[in-house]
Amino acid sequence: MITFALSMLLLATGASFVLGRRRVLAMVERPVDLQSLPGYYGWYTALWCLVPGFVVVLGWMGSAPWLLEGATLNASGIDLASRSEAEISLFMNNVKNLASGSIPSLPDDPALLAAAERYIELRGRGAAIASGFVALFAAAGFSYAFRRLRPNLAARNDVERVLRLTLMACSTLAVVITFGIVFSLLAETLQFFNRVSPIEFLFGTHWSPQTALRVDQVGSSGSFGAVPIFTGTLLITAIAMLVAVPIGLLSAIYMGFYASRRVRAVAKPLLEVLAGVPTVVYGFFAALAVGPVLRDVGSAIGLSVASESALAAGLIMGVMIIPFVSSLSDDAIAAVPDAMRNGSLGLGATESETIRSVILPAALPGIVNAFLLAASRAIGETMIVVMAAGLAANLTANPLEAVTTVTVQIVTLLTGDQEFDSAKTLSAFALGLVLFFVTLCLNLIALAVVRRFREEYE
Amino acid sequence: MQARLTGRNAAELRFRLYGLFAIGAAIATLGVLLFSIVGKGYTAFVQTEILLDVRFDAAAIGDLEDLEGEGRRAALQRADYGALLRESLREQFPDVEGRTAIRSLTALVSTGARAMLREKIADDPALLDRSVPLWLTADDEVDMLMKGQIARDVPESERRLSDVQLAWVDALEAEGRIRTVFNRTFLTAGDSREPELAGVWGALVGSFLTLAVALGVSFPIGVLTAVYLEEFAPKNRWTDLVEVNINNLAAVPSIVYGLLGLAVFLNILQLPRSAPLVGGLTLALMTLPTIIIAARSAILGVPPSIREAARGVGASPLQVVAHHVLPLALPGILTGTIIGMARALGETAPLLMVGMVAFIVDVPGSLTDAATVLPVQIFLWADSPERGFVEKVSGAILVLMTFLLLMNAGAIVMRQKFEKRW
Amino acid sequence: MLLAPSDSEAEVIVPEPSTEEFRPKMNATAVDVYYGDTHAVKKVDLPILEGDVTALIGPSGCGKSTLLRCFNRMNDAIAACRVEGEITLEGRSIFDAEIDVVELRARVGMVFQKPNPFPKSVYDNVAYGPRIHGIARKGPEMDAIVASSLERAGLWQEVKDRLQESGTALSGGQQQRLCIARAIAVDPEVILMDEPCSALDPIATAKIEELICELRGRFAIAIVTHNMQQAARVSQRTAFFHLGELVEYGRTEDIFTNPVQERTRDYITGRYG
Repeated sequence: MITFALSMLLLATGASFVLGRRRVLAMVERPVDLQSLPGYYGWYTALWCLVPGFVVVLGWMGSAPWLLEGATLNASGIDLASRSEAEISLFMNNVKNLASGSIPSLPDDPALLAAAERYIELRGRGAAIASGFVALFAAAGFSYAFRRLRPNLAARNDVERVLRLTLMACSTLAVVITFGIVFSLLAETLQFFNRVSPIEFLFGTHWSPQTALRVDQVGSSGSFGAVPIFTGTLLITAIAMLVAVPIGLLSAIYMGFYASRRVRAVAKPLLEVLAGVPTVVYGFFAALAVGPVLRDVGSAIGLSVASESALAAGLIMGVMIIPFVSSLSDDAIAAVPDAMRNGSLGLGATESETIRSVILPAALPGIVNAFLLAASRAIGETMIVVMAAGLAANLTANPLEAVTTVTVQIVTLLTGDQEFDSAKTLSAFALGLVLFFVTLCLNLIALAVVRRFREEYE
Repeated sequence: MQARLTGRNAAELRFRLYGLFAIGAAIATLGVLLFSIVGKGYTAFVQTEILLDVRFDAAAIGDLEDLEGEGRRAALQRADYGALLRESLREQFPDVEGRTAIRSLTALVSTGARAMLREKIADDPALLDRSVPLWLTADDEVDMLMKGQIARDVPESERRLSDVQLAWVDALEAEGRIRTVFNRTFLTAGDSREPELAGVWGALVGSFLTLAVALGVSFPIGVLTAVYLEEFAPKNRWTDLVEVNINNLAAVPSIVYGLLGLAVFLNILQLPRSAPLVGGLTLALMTLPTIIIAARSAILGVPPSIREAARGVGASPLQVVAHHVLPLALPGILTGTIIGMARALGETAPLLMVGMVAFIVDVPGSLTDAATVLPVQIFLWADSPERGFVEKVSGAILVLMTFLLLMNAGAIVMRQKFEKRW
Repeated sequence: MLLAPSDSEAEVIVPEPSTEEFRPKMNATAVDVYYGDTHAVKKVDLPILEGDVTALIGPSGCGKSTLLRCFNRMNDAIAACRVEGEITLEGRSIFDAEIDVVELRARVGMVFQKPNPFPKSVYDNVAYGPRIHGIARKGPEMDAIVASSLERAGLWQEVKDRLQESGTALSGGQQQRLCIARAIAVDPEVILMDEPCSALDPIATAKIEELICELRGRFAIAIVTHNMQQAARVSQRTAFFHLGELVEYGRTEDIFTNPVQERTRDYITGRYG
């Protein structure tokens, strides 16, 4: 129905364009006598038709689900006060599923069937009314604009003003997304903190989010001490950085100062391929190839290595961020003025002495920026750890044991069928907020560092 | 002095070797990764088949002569193709007796073989009561055996195929009744619980629909944002805030976008779960910063003299952008967009959050159908216990990497073909 | 009578023109231009006469290009730039809210220092202006405008067989004449030229100068130049700028043979520049 209303609106917009253009051309002898190009009068009329209609469509799309739900519940005659929120939302879900016909085998509850019928009826009526309003607003806008058409109307200026506003609105979306992230995470997190104290969450050392379905079951409360998750994340990130930083930095140095043209022509694209490999592929590789190999090697030398050890996930995550570190370090090194390097070489320093004592210190802010962004990437990386790291929240610093991470927990808590309002699912949002906040800080510091750095050399 | 110099030169050489070692290590890892995936994955593109003489017994299927349309379809649907299979297998191995023995005998053929028989008879009713030799898809265990994935020397209890079954397979092979052919199912079917019937087509279509939504939303918004920031935005605190925001969003972990999608698109806007529409919108938010940043640098690359020239003959600011700046910046913008889309194609985590992780057999037909995407399919198969899925995972990875390679190659070609013309 | 504001050293004396030839097409009165904190143009009065070529000369950084760009409000796009004072076109202020800057630029065209053809065909380069101003659409009408503009810019013979080739494929001098053709295609009243020959070789320069002399009379032309011989060759009026001030304005022959100001004399005789 929405698609139908929208396509009718678009058709009407097209027609308005043609009509507006034609009308204004009929008013003058030569097109030159018009204040703007004829097409702009077409756009002027078209926009006056499209914008009011579109606003109605948006309003309808935003409010319809809520209005429909409320109206259906009221009409269904079930006693809202006696039922819990979860029951009502389950009921509504069943009604919707029935209405869309996606689940044919539901319990033959007469109230449910009646509500579904009512829902379908209301949905149809609502759509009809809304379509009527769309048509009305579009027609009103069109006739207003159509009557205002004159050869001296500054149509171009009006049209361009609208376009400029559109451009501006688009650019604010970036800010809207950030606020959207913060608010959606914050809202759920606050609900979570209503049930679990923030102190326990941030400082507790026991994590087992399994809440029982019924209150009288054992262990119904679950425990939400996130410290083992944070340490697990840090452990894996540290291993990844230990792999990626030296290899990435040395690669960048080698490419920048030593590699022949031919080596560079081969190695650079290969590093880019490494950057382009999807993380799910790395995860598969870590779980299937690296994990078992590490375990076998471990048992051969008498160490017990968990098959989902932090080491396997960390190593592969390190490989994943190598190209990231090397390309950012490369930029930082390339930004150091050649004069500095020549000065040092001219004094008789060897290339490596120059790099170590002149280039690297000068490029340090850029390199730090690379490390920070790489760390932020490693902390937020999901698929490798989901596939290769464990689920159990062990508080350990031993890389040979299995640990879990923030992202792994978010995925396990939120996939599969889960009721939405339990502490278990809400805790995922709290973890998400922590993740967002930490990576935000790292990114902002990195941005500030790189800005400083740029100012220095510009 | 001489000794010092020797020492310094040795240090120089060492440093150089470290660098060489670092690059070598990175590239070697890439090599091992690709090698192990190609090595495991190429067998996904072939499939073992077993030749059986099937007699389409009229007693088992019923009389099709006087049935038309719906009734005929129902009759075909009802017929007991398992019995047909059992009969033809027993003909092949007349000395097999007993229910369990017969069951393990039929287990050699894929459960999908029944559907094959149904299609055969539906296409050609003249086959009724005739015996025809047919190549039927083998069960994944037989397939694994033929591909050398099942070791014959381990104790029987640790094998999925019993000694008797091995003997049957050997007998079939000796008679030339086993062959391996190109696996069309893998490229044309949707997901399945049976490895030999599972394919990537459903996931590919899902990926395509999802990317289409992501592109349709993020490309226009991204380009318009870039135009505003480069051509119109006044330099003030608000613009600064927008800029910092975009740079930061480019580095936000993808799973956070998944949480945003879950909270906004599913819970507030009540859009359908698991649908390409929601997945695409989520990925659009994720790729938006990439596209904005690429578009801005492309727009910045258009020389200011072109803008002056256009303004000088009286083009309005928007005409300058629409007639001159955007056409010239387009190759750069498209290159950045392709790279962003390639990243979205390989993305998994945010889609798990919006429920695109369900087991879906049907190929999605619209933006609101439940669907999965290629990387998620890989994730799901990697989680499956069946041995047969290991090669499917690697095969699906090969398909995914092929697409990524094509997209990146496209971006490179675009960049070289349209590099600066002024 | 026009009077420039006095400075500490000397009065600027503008010779009284004979009434019949003094027809200001555009007129700048007390114009100040600021670039951020820099005061780039200081209280300048300058007329641009109908049918004449007015040359703006002076050492680099004296504000002459900045002033020229004020005449069709090209400085609008620069956020840090602020213009005060009054500039009129046919007696009407160009800063008037009623005046659309787009329309102004159709009447006051501009040719830039570096030839900057669009990376489009020769034909589309010339046709662009008429198209966006709705002077002509496709077809023979537009063909005629393109041909006559190229003819007037002295380029027609050279490009008539390669109208669909890219404008950027032409030589430097041809590109600059293409830019002039592009400017006159919308039939402006005034053409502003910002050092149009500084990026060209002497032969191409000679062609452009010839062209300027031919265009004179049809359009009011203002040209900024570094080259004093050029100013002497093509212009009828000359304005000498120094450090953002208009030092002297008058008939070209007067300025070059008998300047009133000492600073003008020093510059013309090559004492500084």
